[in-house]
Amino acid sequence: MHISDGIIDTNICIVANVASVALVYATGKKTPIDDIPKMGMMGAALFVASLIHFPLAGTSIHLGLFGVAGIILGKRAFPAIFAALLFQSLIFQHGGLVTLGVNALNMGAGAFAAWLIWRIKVLPESLRAVLAGFFGIIVPVLLMSAEFHFSGYGRGIFFLFSVYLVAAVIESIISFSVVRFFRNIKPELLD
Amino acid sequence: MKHSFIDKYSNLDSPVHRIDPRVKLVAVFSVIVIIVSEAPGAVFPFIFYGAIIALLIFISRIPLSYIMKRCLIAAPFILLAALLYPVSSIISQGYQSFGLSNPEVKAGLTILLKGFMALILLILLTSTEKFHNLLLGLRKLKMPKLLGVISALMYRYVFIIHDEMLRTTRARDSRTPGRLTISRLKVYGNQSAMIFLRSLERSQIIYNSMLSRGFDGNFPGMQSLALRGKDVIAATVFVLLVLTVRLTNSNINCYSFN
Repeated sequence: MHISDGIIDTNICIVANVASVALVYATGKKTPIDDIPKMGMMGAALFVASLIHFPLAGTSIHLGLFGVAGIILGKRAFPAIFAALLFQSLIFQHGGLVTLGVNALNMGAGAFAAWLIWRIKVLPESLRAVLAGFFGIIVPVLLMSAEFHFSGYGRGIFFLFSVYLVAAVIESIISFSVVRFFRNIKPELLD
Repeated sequence: MKHSFIDKYSNLDSPVHRIDPRVKLVAVFSVIVIIVSEAPGAVFPFIFYGAIIALLIFISRIPLSYIMKRCLIAAPFILLAALLYPVSSIISQGYQSFGLSNPEVKAGLTILLKGFMALILLILLTSTEKFHNLLLGLRKLKMPKLLGVISALMYRYVFIIHDEMLRTTRARDSRTPGRLTISRLKVYGNQSAMIFLRSLERSQIIYNSMLSRGFDGNFPGMQSLALRGKDVIAATVFVLLVLTVRLTNSNINCYSFN
């Protein structure tokens, strides 16, 4: 899901970078001092989670945890995700430098969608957790498909979408499990 | 955790290593923008871009084998994207149209070249500068303070969390070996939550102790940067060289269309 440099249209990258920096300012302003270690930790956890691989059909996929980031950090997930992506780009070249804004917008939108779903209190908590995990992956994939489409890629993007559908289902189960664990051990993280 | 791969060759001494991190960041970002703005189907200018980057690798004294190894990490993402063009062509026109003369195949090749050139530049950037200096450079380039603090904390936490992950992975695999099932996925979820909880508690203790020692978002001990004129000149020459190739190629394309 980390788009490398040179893959998508440069104009899209420039617009996304400007929008991402604006969003970092908008979502990060007046951050309570207690939230800063949580954001740094979540950013690091997002990175480490990407190192947990599942064997699947002869290959492997890794966790994203954007849904969980949205549930725990809410709108402040965006700066944490941006910092995590900057770190991954510089250290491991997972995602490019010029596409940093695009990747941050995609994944930040996943976390934001998860946060919105999590706030629908009329739904049972377990269902909200499953949906947050699912849309935490699907929303970034939809955005990524749109970016590929506008960059001139043809119908090959449907192949990309089908790969990530499986990842979204797995992520929804993981998200459910994480929320249940937090509810039992440290419920204040969810409230 | 073994993390010597991070800034592994940043201690070498070369003209590239000695350049101010701010100058390096701006130059690499500019050059990547110039290279990735090449039109789909352009292949010829990449010979020149490749030559310029090869010269940079030679000057920086970073081993080529190391760069190749690092390239392998991101290679699948670039290959997948490069394949999407030919795949789209096969879906819409069938196998008959498949060949090097096909514009979709050429566009895929351009994506591949752009992706790898940008990747090598990024590897060079991070291999010739210590990570905390890059962060300092970004801070001096007016990166939002919150991002700077989060990134700096992440750099410190990530090793702790990774060690935690290795420990819990060993415990998980010894208790629930076997294939991926739904019940095993729950174990993965519990593992993620456990890693998060343990690390969160530790990070809060660390951060509180930092605050009690007067931490205000700036990391004391970080060396200040001094911008040198020759760094700016060297970076400008590098950017202008790449820009010249880019503009020359645009003109050639312009004439060939006319």
